Amino acid sequence: MNEEDLLKRSAEERDKIFKRYDRGREEGAEIDPWEDPTFEVYHATDRYGFIHDKRLPSKVDPQEAKKQQIELERVKKWRKMLKSWNSSVTKEKLHKRVFKGIPNSLRPQVWCLLLSLDKTKTENRGKYDEMLKLARKYSTDARQIDSDVNRQFREHLFYRERYGIKQQSLFKVLTAYAMYNSEVGYCQGMSGLAGVLLMYMDEEDAFWAMHILLTDPKFSMHGLYKEGFPKLTRFLAHHDRILTKFMPGLKKHFDKHGLDAILYSLKWFFVCFVERVPFSLCLRIWDIYLLIGERVITAMAFTILRLHKKSIMKLNDMDSIVHFIQVKLYKDFMYDDDSAVHALERALEDLKRAKLDHPGPPTKDEIPSRPFGVFIEPTVDQIIGHRAEKFTEKERETNTLVVLRREEAREALENDVQLSVGDSAGLTGSKFSFDPSMDDTSSLLEDCQHMGSKRSLADTSVTSTADLSVFSTITRSQAHENSLDTHSNVSDNSVGGASSVGSGIVTSSGAHKPLFSTHSTPRATPHNPSPDVLRIYVPYSPLDTPLVSPHNGDVKVPPNTFPDNKIRIRVDNDELLTPLVEHGQIRSFRIDSPEIDLK
Amino acid sequence: MANRTGTAQRPNGQTQGKICQFKLVLLGESAVGKSSLVLRFVKGQFHEYQESTIGAAFLTQTVCLDDTTVKFEIWDTAGQERYHSLAPMYYRGAQAAIVVYDITNQDTFGRAKTWVKELQRQASPNIVIALAGNKQDLANKRMVEFEEAHAYADEHGLLFMETSAKTAMNVNDIFLAIAKKLPKNEQAGAPGGGGQGRRLVDGDTGPKAAGNCCK
Repeated sequence: MNEEDLLKRSAEERDKIFKRYDRGREEGAEIDPWEDPTFEVYHATDRYGFIHDKRLPSKVDPQEAKKQQIELERVKKWRKMLKSWNSSVTKEKLHKRVFKGIPNSLRPQVWCLLLSLDKTKTENRGKYDEMLKLARKYSTDARQIDSDVNRQFREHLFYRERYGIKQQSLFKVLTAYAMYNSEVGYCQGMSGLAGVLLMYMDEEDAFWAMHILLTDPKFSMHGLYKEGFPKLTRFLAHHDRILTKFMPGLKKHFDKHGLDAILYSLKWFFVCFVERVPFSLCLRIWDIYLLIGERVITAMAFTILRLHKKSIMKLNDMDSIVHFIQVKLYKDFMYDDDSAVHALERALEDLKRAKLDHPGPPTKDEIPSRPFGVFIEPTVDQIIGHRAEKFTEKERETNTLVVLRREEAREALENDVQLSVGDSAGLTGSKFSFDPSMDDTSSLLEDCQHMGSKRSLADTSVTSTADLSVFSTITRSQAHENSLDTHSNVSDNSVGGASSVGSGIVTSSGAHKPLFSTHSTPRATPHNPSPDVLRIYVPYSPLDTPLVSPHNGDVKVPPNTFPDNKIRIRVDNDELLTPLVEHGQIRSFRIDSPEIDLK
Repeated sequence: MANRTGTAQRPNGQTQGKICQFKLVLLGESAVGKSSLVLRFVKGQFHEYQESTIGAAFLTQTVCLDDTTVKFEIWDTAGQERYHSLAPMYYRGAQAAIVVYDITNQDTFGRAKTWVKELQRQASPNIVIALAGNKQDLANKRMVEFEEAHAYADEHGLLFMETSAKTAMNVNDIFLAIAKKLPKNEQAGAPGGGGQGRRLVDGDTGPKAAGNCCK
């Protein structure tokens, strides 16, 4: 096809998509049966409009009823406050009340007020319609937006029907906004943002709310969505700093499993926790977000991990950690909304005290540089949707940055090991690990495997995980081949890494044939869930242990339950016992009590 | 590529089979069904309104081939061009890739070709690439002919199948075909292949792909 044909085809496609939304669900609408979900609407729709698989209980849970009663009381107070929105009394009470949750019935009004929507809207009268017209003629994002509208909040009453009224609004707001803010255009994730706004606002309000969220310095989401995601990298770096300071054990746990924050937290930052925490909690976060701005995102990210640290520390592969954070917590946060918000408030205070409540001002490239609402004719490549053959400078930069983050994480992990272990080489061949803290799952044994596993940039881009299987089996089997020390394992790693500099290209023809396996491909999961590490816990005086300050809630309690100076051996996960082979004979390896004291 | 291989040994000394782990990445234009293919393969499920992948998703699945257990670490990427800058961190070091297009949309096939080109230029030289023409259940709306894609795949040394995440057609098959093509013996001759009783993930490898796993 030549360029002319391609342009014509793109125009036809765009036109067709727009016409479908114009028509909506009226007669003649082309809707494939699969495009409309079948739901039992009645009895299964919750108070926010989401339709559930199962019938909701016919009796209201007494606690829920109580909450609704409280909310009704609050509505009265809010109504009173709304009458004098700009008064000093309101200013005084607003903060506390927003943190308690804006009554759902008043969210439409209050959200608009918090965003000072009316002002922006009046200043730009007629602009929205203008953008709609431009979009119809020139939008290059129609196809992408169309496919995302078709899958955004489909379990919500508003968006259930294909080309239903709210789907029409969502499509229009997004295509119009992509014209208005041409620097960002449309980025996946924005449909979630607009989708929530449209649950509480009409179309034009949602358009301007979106604009405020992108461009007001309080929220500045522009830098999140624009090419190269500059704000995302800045916030992720800050998130890492917070973890390092407040929860170093957890950070190490993530690093050990090659889990970069970008993998589990993207939607936290991109859509303010939509589809990552239960919707009722998500709304509470949005309430606070609209009041105090982006600091809440940082603090909530911290809060989620702080509240669930223990559960996460128990998970030993990337797969289950990500699943826990992204899927499980969305279905069930395990804390009620009030407790979660309470923890969030505390996190905000703790971060402020540590001067970590905000990552600092945006970089220059996060700030919009093009004027809004000024039409720029799309290029031929944009219209046809040609992929760029090469990365732009910004994209390359992002790529490098993201990769560097991994490298830094790994180095930090290694340094940490060097600092805390000192002469770790002496330990590596040992059957036991010396783990001074029972709380901290990153035992030296596991750490040791990272010694010297300094990898190339290329190699570290994704994941890497301690190869626990090798260790645990050695320790457990007590086989005579204990000469298989970590040293060989370690050098394997570095060889695998070193040979892949720059390109990620690794061949196995290296001079050094690895003993077990090289990790030229970063591993995402440990091959064995480290079921049977033998640890010796050496009790120590709690006074020798630096404690994390108690006010951050991340207190490490020393295992001071050991009254004497015994050495304690503990076998974890004893249900995973495997038969052992020793001198060709099968021997069941079992310790009756999980802990043995060596006098 | 040095994939992880090990020989699981039973107490009686018989070889039980190798376990290999491979990193696999899914690439392709937005909304062609990358996440749906993974969901079908890993969980045997299909959602009509699969939420759009932002950034990337990670899942694992294990399949068995004769005496070898192959564990796939699957990176499912976002399709929108904007997220392209993140893609190299996922395909780097991958031993396998599935490039997906939608048979009802000619443009997505064009994009698939661009991905193949990029992989052949930037990814590991030995990478096994499969081309998947997804949404085969919508064949009545077909815009990309089977023969056209097949010829392209042959020419570029790709595995090729038309798939349907919705009906499950060829979904397990394409992953299995990849597993078969991946080299699995590089470590087999490694010296000191481990002490006795060395046990790699044996029997606790998580969910099995329906109908194609070891008994």
